Amino acid sequence: MKNKLSMASKKRLEGYGFIMPGFLYILLILGYPLVYNVILSFKDTNVKNFAKGTSTFIGVENYVKLFQDPTFQLVLKNTIVFTLACLVVQFTVGFLFAIFFSQKFTLSGPIRGLILVGYMMPMSVTAMIGKNIFGVSEGVINDLLLKIGFIHEPIEWLVNGGTALIAVIAVNCWVGIPFNMLLLTSGLTGISEDVYESASLDGANKVQRFFYITLPLMKSSILAVLMLGFIYTFKAFDLMFIMTSGGPLNATDVLGTYAYTLSFTKYEFSQGSAAAIVLFCCLFVVGLFYLRLISKEDD
Amino acid sequence: MKRNWRKLVAAVSAGMVMTGMLAGCGSEKPAVGESSSVDGNSDDGNGSKKEVTLWHYFFDEEGKAIERVVELYNNSQDKIHITSTYISRDELMNQYTIGAVSGELPDIGMVDSPDMASYISLGVFEDIDDELQEWGELDKFYEGPLNSCRDSEGRLHGIPNNSNCLALVCNMDLLNAAGFDEPPTTWDEFREVARACTDPGNSVYGYAMCAIGNEEGTFQYIPWLYASGADVTTLDSPEAVKSMEFLGDLVSDGYMSKEVINWTQADALNAFAAGKAAMLESGTWHIALLDSDSMNVDFNYKYALLPKGEQNASVIGGENFGVCAGSEAKEECIDFLKFMMQPQNNADWCEIGGKLPVRSDAMELKDFWTEDERYAVFSETMNFAVARGPHESWPTISEAIYNAEQSVLLGEKSAADAMKEAASVVDPILKEVPIAE
Repeated sequence: MKNKLSMASKKRLEGYGFIMPGFLYILLILGYPLVYNVILSFKDTNVKNFAKGTSTFIGVENYVKLFQDPTFQLVLKNTIVFTLACLVVQFTVGFLFAIFFSQKFTLSGPIRGLILVGYMMPMSVTAMIGKNIFGVSEGVINDLLLKIGFIHEPIEWLVNGGTALIAVIAVNCWVGIPFNMLLLTSGLTGISEDVYESASLDGANKVQRFFYITLPLMKSSILAVLMLGFIYTFKAFDLMFIMTSGGPLNATDVLGTYAYTLSFTKYEFSQGSAAAIVLFCCLFVVGLFYLRLISKEDD
Repeated sequence: MKRNWRKLVAAVSAGMVMTGMLAGCGSEKPAVGESSSVDGNSDDGNGSKKEVTLWHYFFDEEGKAIERVVELYNNSQDKIHITSTYISRDELMNQYTIGAVSGELPDIGMVDSPDMASYISLGVFEDIDDELQEWGELDKFYEGPLNSCRDSEGRLHGIPNNSNCLALVCNMDLLNAAGFDEPPTTWDEFREVARACTDPGNSVYGYAMCAIGNEEGTFQYIPWLYASGADVTTLDSPEAVKSMEFLGDLVSDGYMSKEVINWTQADALNAFAAGKAAMLESGTWHIALLDSDSMNVDFNYKYALLPKGEQNASVIGGENFGVCAGSEAKEECIDFLKFMMQPQNNADWCEIGGKLPVRSDAMELKDFWTEDERYAVFSETMNFAVARGPHESWPTISEAIYNAEQSVLLGEKSAADAMKEAASVVDPILKEVPIAE
């Protein structure tokens, strides 16, 4: 009996030993900057007192200031609009693509591979291309729309706020669609053919098979795709940074770019940290929500 | 329960990954560009030379100029070896900010003059006032550029390297075709020329400038602000509003493309060089670019002073060099700065880079700046060009100005409203800490 217990505790120790490197890694590489950031966001560190080291703790003042700032309100709105629009488009189109390319037809594999190019391209390259194709006089999109007679005047894509946001959403979807397609395809292939076969024997038509077999069986992949998509989109930075620099007039400024501007352009370090923490909290809540859903499923 | 806890930990760490990218970039090393060092590695053997690192963002003609002076210095003595590294401007600025925290800075750093005050305040640059005073040559430097190296107590943290300013350049083929023999000299004439040269059919605009949402946009607006008789302390004055209205009308009347709000100065120059704009607000350094083969300019152009409003006005730009905090080679760095800023070296440098010298005795060494009538326009402009700041919060002031400009050019706000808003940001800042005289 005694021997058995010590075996168990030995095993447990061994387990802790295995997770220790990962735990230390997280603590040092991720924990430190996060804690540093949180502390910074409760101080008043800026260009004036940084070198003197005279910054003081000011409580939640940075957060209050942030939420009262009309620019931040706009940035928050942009982030939410951008995220939701991207999620809807890239999930819907990605799902359709996944189903379409899971049909076995000639070249379905190679074409699916080609669509993935968008996802594999570095975001900085994608953003540069986006900047060019949405150009007013030299952009491909305007040229195309003019030629087919859809518009008569070139659209000032990245010049006006509303269209600039549409443009960055479009470019982000170009990356997001293959990402969604990829994950949903793996979910689709996980469903055994036998299930469909027996369903059709029972007289289920295609629509019924989709709603009563495909969707329920893919619930966990769909949730995973949506949550991951949310996280990737919500923390967008490089796309706007390169394609529009958050402009015109903050119309495409999102939490990531805004926090960067505060810290690195205006040297309002504490304000920038507070904005980054808001970004973190939003993602943290979504992360918790996702875990709750998953654990429910497991139970 | 236990499993939930584990998942919580997982969620926390996942979240950390996301914000870690924002906070944790301090450990990133800058992308190292070309190094001008010819014999960088061969020194390892003797070890007697002191290694000094220098970071700058010059490329093209300017890059050649700095590499030349570094090589001259390295060959002139055998105690110190300078290794110069090109880092893109944005990245270099980030490195200074990060370096202020981490202490990872080069020995010598270059910085755009309006940003200098912020970096001095952040503690990036050493106080080298005593050493420079000892040198005894400071009285040869022009006050404007030198002032941009001073902290709030007037002590020098660096030395200016070159100056530039803005003037007007006109595509004379287009102006002649529209019936004008000379560039405009007043705002009314300017508007008239812009109107006459605008040709929507060929997508040619009367005027092009840069109104992008960063320091470049503010830089290009300042001459119009000061020409109206206003300045940064009176942004909501009727004069300042008038200057903004003037530019806003150019866009709403179709004489200037709305796209200027996304144009850098390089983009605006490209539009001008491609014949898509009859007039351009052009910088000193543009001359060297217009001369280069890659531009391929096939029309006649002429430089002139920017049109006169209530008064003549322009803006000073330029780069400063300083010794970074924590450098173990402060003496050596200052020695190099003095060498680089010798009259002859400064004159050579500016001739190659297409800039204006910052010391009067360098200006006198060559007739380059008076003989070439294009440079002569800039030399004359320097008499009334104004500096930005120096002010530690200049980036915030600048943002208020370019935001106002963009909202007017986009037609989102009236000039009066936009300038009132800008003043509401800028006035309290300047009230707390006025711009050093």
